[in-house]
Amino acid sequence: MHTRFEHSLGVMHTATLMYDAIRERSREILESDLAYNQDGLGRDRQLVRLAALLHDVGHGPFSHAAEELLPQINGGDGKYKHEQYSAAIVRSQLKDVIENHPSNANYGFKADDIASLLEGSSRAKQALFWRDLIDGQMDADRMDYLLRDSYHIGVQYGRFDLDRVIQTIVAIRFEDDGSIRVGITDGGFHAAEALVLARYFMFTQVYFHKTRVAYDVHLRGALKEILPAGVFPKPTPAELSEYLRWDDWRVLGLLSDGKGGEHGQRLRTRNHFRNIYSSPEVSKLADLDELKVVKEQLGGLVAAEEPASKSWYKTGTPDIRVVSQTKGPSPLSKYSSVLANLKANNQVLLYVYPEQVEQARKKVSEVVKK
Amino acid sequence: MSTDIERIGVLGYLVQRAPSGWVGRTTLMKHCYFLQELREAHLGYSFSLYSYGPFDSAVLSDLGEGEALGVLREEVISYPSGYGYQISCLLDPEQIAEVGGELLERYQRDIDWVVQEFQNYSAADLELLSTLVYADREALAAGEEISMAELSRRVKEVKPRFTNDYILRQAESLDRRNLLSAVV
Repeated sequence: MHTRFEHSLGVMHTATLMYDAIRERSREILESDLAYNQDGLGRDRQLVRLAALLHDVGHGPFSHAAEELLPQINGGDGKYKHEQYSAAIVRSQLKDVIENHPSNANYGFKADDIASLLEGSSRAKQALFWRDLIDGQMDADRMDYLLRDSYHIGVQYGRFDLDRVIQTIVAIRFEDDGSIRVGITDGGFHAAEALVLARYFMFTQVYFHKTRVAYDVHLRGALKEILPAGVFPKPTPAELSEYLRWDDWRVLGLLSDGKGGEHGQRLRTRNHFRNIYSSPEVSKLADLDELKVVKEQLGGLVAAEEPASKSWYKTGTPDIRVVSQTKGPSPLSKYSSVLANLKANNQVLLYVYPEQVEQARKKVSEVVKK
Repeated sequence: MSTDIERIGVLGYLVQRAPSGWVGRTTLMKHCYFLQELREAHLGYSFSLYSYGPFDSAVLSDLGEGEALGVLREEVISYPSGYGYQISCLLDPEQIAEVGGELLERYQRDIDWVVQEFQNYSAADLELLSTLVYADREALAAGEEISMAELSRRVKEVKPRFTNDYILRQAESLDRRNLLSAVV
């Protein structure tokens, strides 16, 4: 068991190590291309530390399991994300403690400076370059949760050489378009390769494990029953305080009191949905055709359908840049033949009620070749 | 097809419409941003600003899934000064129409417009243009009316490597096409 606070401290620590390493190794690029001076680099170091510390304060109970129940954006596209709640909380509930903290006399931060970096706003100015350390392809968030989750779960899948990543992290200038990105020197490419593989293995073995995913389904289902209108309050001044009342303890208490409907009951009795069919980890269009046939065959027996592509932890296509003293920048996949052949996991898991497993199994076997 | 798969069909069509038959990652990302922001195509992406312009990792996830499904292919192309990505579509137009389903049907004209409007820009220019649109929409959301000079100043703070004149010229080119909303 570990807490989000512990993770947040870890992200702040890792982001600081990354920041200091880039500042030391790539000072010339930071000064010439991003117009930094000594004072600016000192100020933004503290800004990045605060943003890293607060990056997850907007999470609802049980973090990503609850993310689907965030409400629709008025007149916008899609739903709110927890990052928008983090920014809103920083601007309101945390405004006073940030702006009036005695140490802030040295920096003059406004809460909006931190929120702008967290949510990705032009108001963050040149500091936006550092956003990759908090929410990017090779960020402190991932580095911390992979190592921390592995340690606490007791698996080795998420381990990689963090020290070596820090020793080789740099800012890379792309000569053709002049952009500056975070990357690593070629001496660290195996460490970066291990980081990507750690993500891959943690996804397949832990985050997208069929039983763990089943409990996400039940948590979501129970929360939907418990929440008024089935969704969390919005990150608006009128609703933010109510949102903050929804923490793990409140939900656990309600579940313990018998709330949460059928899903709550399944959580209490550990009688979770059972995985009856899984498409291949790398599914082709033909595999989706088979999935469709299986779903039709199962009909009303399908209790839940969970695609890897919907998972917050999905691995996607990594875009980590490597630079050497003799060659220009290259993507990590050019260095690593393993990663060059690594495809995104787009598996889909189908679940049925435990009471109907045998019936479902027979139906699936009628349409799926052994 | 599910909406997620249809979105991969939209990416496939966008690639097919490119005059060269392929696009780079920056083009794919920024064209999706323009589609959502300038044409109000509801693709479900959630862009936020980085120093390299509006970005959503979900576009790269869709690209990865498109590769896994055998719809898209991505190759790394090396140049003397660096590298780029060459993304092509492995399906013919009829197959892409099937994968893209209703979502593609709904936004086909908008995709054609985006490709037509932005096909001649370099990756660096697409980063700049999309950042200008992003800053403009931020001002709009905050209820601000800003001058062209103020918009350019805000973008200059994010992208100091561009000259003031160049940013201003690009902002004016967007304004001439009525693509900015908060500028007065």
